[in-house]
Amino acid sequence: MTDLLQQLVNGLTLGSLYALIAVGYTVVYGIVQLINFAHGEVFMIGAFGALATWTVLFNGTTSLWVLPFMILGAVAASVTVAILMERFAYRPLRHAPRLAPLITAIGVSVFLQEAVRLFYPGAKSKLPFPQIEVVTGPAVHIGDITVQRAAVFTVVSLAVCGALLWYFVNRTKLGRGMRAVSQDPDTARLMGINVNRIIVIAFAIGAVLAAVAGVAQGLQNSNIDFRIGFLAGLKAFTAAVLGGIGNLLGAVVGGLVLGVVEALATQFIPGQFGGSSWKDIWAFGLLIIVLVFRPQGLLGAQVVDRA
Amino acid sequence: MSTEPTPAGSELDFRQDVSRTDIDHPGPGFASHLARLAPSATPLFVVGSGLVVLSCFLSWSYDRSILGNVGIYGNPGSLQLIALVLGLFGILLALMRGPLRRFLPWVDRAAAARALGVGSLVFAVVIILAITLESSGLINVDPGGWLLLVASGLMALGGTVMQPTETEDPLRAHYGSTTEILVFVVLLAVGLAVVAYALDVKDGGSFVALLTGLAAVGAALGRGGFFQYLAVASARHRTVLTLGAVAVAFLFPFTQGGSDANMSIATQVLIFATTALGLNIVVGLAGLLDLGYIAFLGAGSYVGATMSYSAFATIDWKPPFLVVMVIGGMVSATLGLIIGSPTLRVSGDYLAIVTLAFGEIFRLAMNNLDGENGPDLTNGPNGVPAIPELEFGSFNFGDSHEVLGITLTRFANYYFLLLLFAAFVILIFIRLNNSRIGRGWVAIREDERAAEAMGVNVFGLKLFAFASGAFLAGLVGTIKAHHDVSVSPDQFVFLESAFLLAAIVLGGMGTVAGVFVGATILKLLPEKLRFLSDYRLLMFGALLVLMMRLRPEGIVPSRRRQLEFHADDEKLAEVVGEQHIEQEEARA
Repeated sequence: MTDLLQQLVNGLTLGSLYALIAVGYTVVYGIVQLINFAHGEVFMIGAFGALATWTVLFNGTTSLWVLPFMILGAVAASVTVAILMERFAYRPLRHAPRLAPLITAIGVSVFLQEAVRLFYPGAKSKLPFPQIEVVTGPAVHIGDITVQRAAVFTVVSLAVCGALLWYFVNRTKLGRGMRAVSQDPDTARLMGINVNRIIVIAFAIGAVLAAVAGVAQGLQNSNIDFRIGFLAGLKAFTAAVLGGIGNLLGAVVGGLVLGVVEALATQFIPGQFGGSSWKDIWAFGLLIIVLVFRPQGLLGAQVVDRA
Repeated sequence: MSTEPTPAGSELDFRQDVSRTDIDHPGPGFASHLARLAPSATPLFVVGSGLVVLSCFLSWSYDRSILGNVGIYGNPGSLQLIALVLGLFGILLALMRGPLRRFLPWVDRAAAARALGVGSLVFAVVIILAITLESSGLINVDPGGWLLLVASGLMALGGTVMQPTETEDPLRAHYGSTTEILVFVVLLAVGLAVVAYALDVKDGGSFVALLTGLAAVGAALGRGGFFQYLAVASARHRTVLTLGAVAVAFLFPFTQGGSDANMSIATQVLIFATTALGLNIVVGLAGLLDLGYIAFLGAGSYVGATMSYSAFATIDWKPPFLVVMVIGGMVSATLGLIIGSPTLRVSGDYLAIVTLAFGEIFRLAMNNLDGENGPDLTNGPNGVPAIPELEFGSFNFGDSHEVLGITLTRFANYYFLLLLFAAFVILIFIRLNNSRIGRGWVAIREDERAAEAMGVNVFGLKLFAFASGAFLAGLVGTIKAHHDVSVSPDQFVFLESAFLLAAIVLGGMGTVAGVFVGATILKLLPEKLRFLSDYRLLMFGALLVLMMRLRPEGIVPSRRRQLEFHADDEKLAEVVGEQHIEQEEARA
């Protein structure tokens, strides 16, 4: 029983990370039907942004008050990259056939990975990430279950970000604009909503959450690397599809479900096919199964109907 | 220009704006100053071209060890020959007005001159930069180099201000059959010579200069209308052209004199291009976004490896190679069916991600099947090394042998096999493209629902495209295993799929030539531009973004694809329509 609960906790931790990144995918796809391949790189750049802020401003300190500044640094880096990406790579191709933005996204993804690898000092190997007190350190024990502190940070940040996102989308004017554009951009434009600005905001929101995920990843693994974006991005997109593409709550739910499935598969599948080396394969297998039996995802997709 | 006052507010007010042209009545501004130079355009251009030719016989650089020796007076070095071509071409263009006009009335002299002038200027700048960077600075540039710069500047100026003149339609140009076939033979021979020369270029600076020079000539020819003429003429002599291309490809190893350096690049290019051609069926013809195509290549490779006589092979059954090839193809095709069936029903974007995920699944599975994490099928992360050479009867592909006094090494053997195989794949591609299946794919690409309504079996055709692309990749994979001697999971990462897709996208979707152009560029440039090797992937990413922005249909696109990407361009639609009519008439 404790095994199951332990794996559930692990799964929720993993899943929170996926959920934070998945929101970025789902919100962009819901509005512009673009799989932003480079969103994984936005997550990676968030992590590097936090590291850079710490290295430049707070080198050596691991006190807790440094953390908000690191998060700010991460957000600044991610949002800048996301907005530039939208403006120069995706906006010109908004009415092109589907293949063009996809190829561009792949190009942007490769470009960003290499740019970080070449121009960030020391990025050619793993870089140590500062272990801030209180959010890292000795694990917390609840009964028989061990919970890493960084894991708590991840789950809590998902909860906080989720609440803020909910408030933004449902209680502010811009949020209403976003909902309108994701239902019907042309009518939204007729209603006086600046659709271009809404799209930029969508990219920015995704970037903010990805940046927080980047900080969480760094705290959990105690190091970061220019390659973390690729697999995380792929899993996060799986999560977004799992929950229902375009559906914000779906992204969160999908992420958590995916994380739990991975953790349980690692622990409970017997014999040679269990264990961590197969967990990615189970995750992708889940994606294929979802697409076969329920392509609109668990909570239903919400994509603009272009008919 | 109308000078009578028109009643204010009447519909005739617009007359004043419409009848004004800058050529007749230049207003104030930079363009007008340039226009005033127009009468002196041709003399400027001729003088520029002549001086470029002259500069080739002078020394460009004091340092003789760089750029293939451009430092001797009187004896043009390699790059100076290119400048010589540029200059002579310029003089030729200038002569177009006079005696040559009768033969070539369709050449757009002004546009070609402009392209040639600007191209030559860029070439000169590249040469100066290369000299500066590769030796000890700007001081090393001899007077000849500066003359080149000034002369090409004159060419650029002359070309830019040259007035366009009336030209006939290049699509309707028609010469005697012998003349046209001669033109093709000359073109192919020149192409072979340029390729052989390009492969031998040793340093990066020379290579960039060579590319710039070729681009200048290509741009001038393109703007002059030459490629449009070629498009129609080649439709007239399709058989000759195909035979010529095959002959050129066949003769290539004989020009290498037994050296392996270029042959190994050539075989890699062929493997890459053939795989990309298989992907072209999936992406270019059927319009399915497949990002995990490398997995099908990998499946074929692993089948070839595990069934070979390698000491690490895990399967005991050793059938003859042709059987292995077919098994490799079937395994890949089965994988394609397994992946395609659930996902081809849903939208194209999902297909991209699912195929990407499947590519990763394949790589991870191959990595894990090492006996500990799964049954030992693939020897895990170490892969299957030490794969012996192919043997057909008594002919071992590893042996060198002599033909007509020229040594043909192992790579040359594989080259011929791959050439044969590439011809086979090209044949399949063309036959599929010009069949009912191909037309069905076009319909699906343009509007799936309409196609379904018209009775096209959308799901069946998509699945067929997917499976046949996978089958071809599997076949290539089996040969690749023997060529590469070892097979490991790291050879089949996502980046390889991205490269394959990029080859098609860069070269041109939906055409055979385009795929080969793209594959050559992507495999050859990293070899030749080794001084940039650290920035290789960075430039690759930037290149993808720029290509999609500027020319999404690729370098040698099929006309239909070009129209799809530029759906709003009416002028393009007209030109393409006319060309299509001319080609159809020529073929008949």
